[in-house]
Amino acid sequence: MKEMKILLVDDEEEFVKTLSERIEMRNVKSDVALNGEEALKIMDEDLPDVMVLDLKMPGIDGLEVLRRTKKAYPGVQIIMLTGHGSEKDEKEARRLGVFEYLQKPVEFEKLMRTIVKAYKSKFESSMVAATFAEAGEFETAKKIMDEEKE
Amino acid sequence: MNKCAEKEVAFFGKITAGITHELKNVLAIIRESSGLMGDIMSISPEAIIKYQEKIQNSMVRIKDQIERGVGLTDRLNKFAHSTDETIAKIDLQETIEQLITLAQRFARLKHVVLKTVPLNQKGPPVTLVTRHIQLQMALFASLECCLNVMSAGGEINIGIRKTKEKNAVHVVCKGDLPVQSEFARNISESEKWPVLQEIAACLEGSANLDETEHGIVLCFPEEIGR
Repeated sequence: MKEMKILLVDDEEEFVKTLSERIEMRNVKSDVALNGEEALKIMDEDLPDVMVLDLKMPGIDGLEVLRRTKKAYPGVQIIMLTGHGSEKDEKEARRLGVFEYLQKPVEFEKLMRTIVKAYKSKFESSMVAATFAEAGEFETAKKIMDEEKE
Repeated sequence: MNKCAEKEVAFFGKITAGITHELKNVLAIIRESSGLMGDIMSISPEAIIKYQEKIQNSMVRIKDQIERGVGLTDRLNKFAHSTDETIAKIDLQETIEQLITLAQRFARLKHVVLKTVPLNQKGPPVTLVTRHIQLQMALFASLECCLNVMSAGGEINIGIRKTKEKNAVHVVCKGDLPVQSEFARNISESEKWPVLQEIAACLEGSANLDETEHGIVLCFPEEIGR
């Protein structure tokens, strides 16, 4: 498995930078974006494996970033981390394909476990599809990859 | 009970949701800052010296966030107490300042800055005997009317202008705005405008478009009928 890259997106600068420092201390590469526009720009240049995304941000909000990312880069796993507890938003995020929806303040260990789980799941579906493709089951492999995109 | 009373719960929910969201951010920063210090301390005793600056920064961050949290809970507490009495004597300037702080997050999401303007005259504070919670609803609705039509980078100034005849609250929008007539039309067509009209009527007051500046003028009686 290649080295994991994380993108942290949150307008609370002190929170996101401290979180990034803690992740980097564990030798995991993590970038920071302070708003949705910045996040989308970073993704065009350096695609992360996992994105930890806030919901309510000035400008393009978290749900819109989730929507655009899942359309352009379906392989990026997205974890919503928000202080906004609305069930409606959670339902919409899940419908749009969020990997997990967590509430702030989250335990760091729990967040890291979820990040690793998201990262592994990204490769699991690719590996399952590759196995089917090797066996000549191209239709099944395609179906798995299409499901992943959805 | 007047017809605006049933809207009070929704208003309460909106404001408390915004403030508790901010409080969650405060707690998240404290948690990560203390976690970072813990991470450093668990490396080795030498790491504490090596990463002294990180530890100091974390301590400053925790202190700042505690202050921020105290300020937020203070305001939330005052806001919650505004329902203690249905009709009460209130300081209008203090209410504006309180509301501006509570609404700050909503403006920030639109990249708009909220500012209070000090009273234009010296003298005793302007007091009203009114429904405190509904007065805050009216102020908030006027801000929402402006926020709905303003673009990013703008500023809203809100303050009392005292004249011989009346005390009026002026909500003035600044920034990249269309011409006065178009701006006024946008405000009056915004979905919050009828809401503001209704609340102002419940308070026996008025909400009008400002004819000289981009904004809204609110007027309330010194004492509401009981």
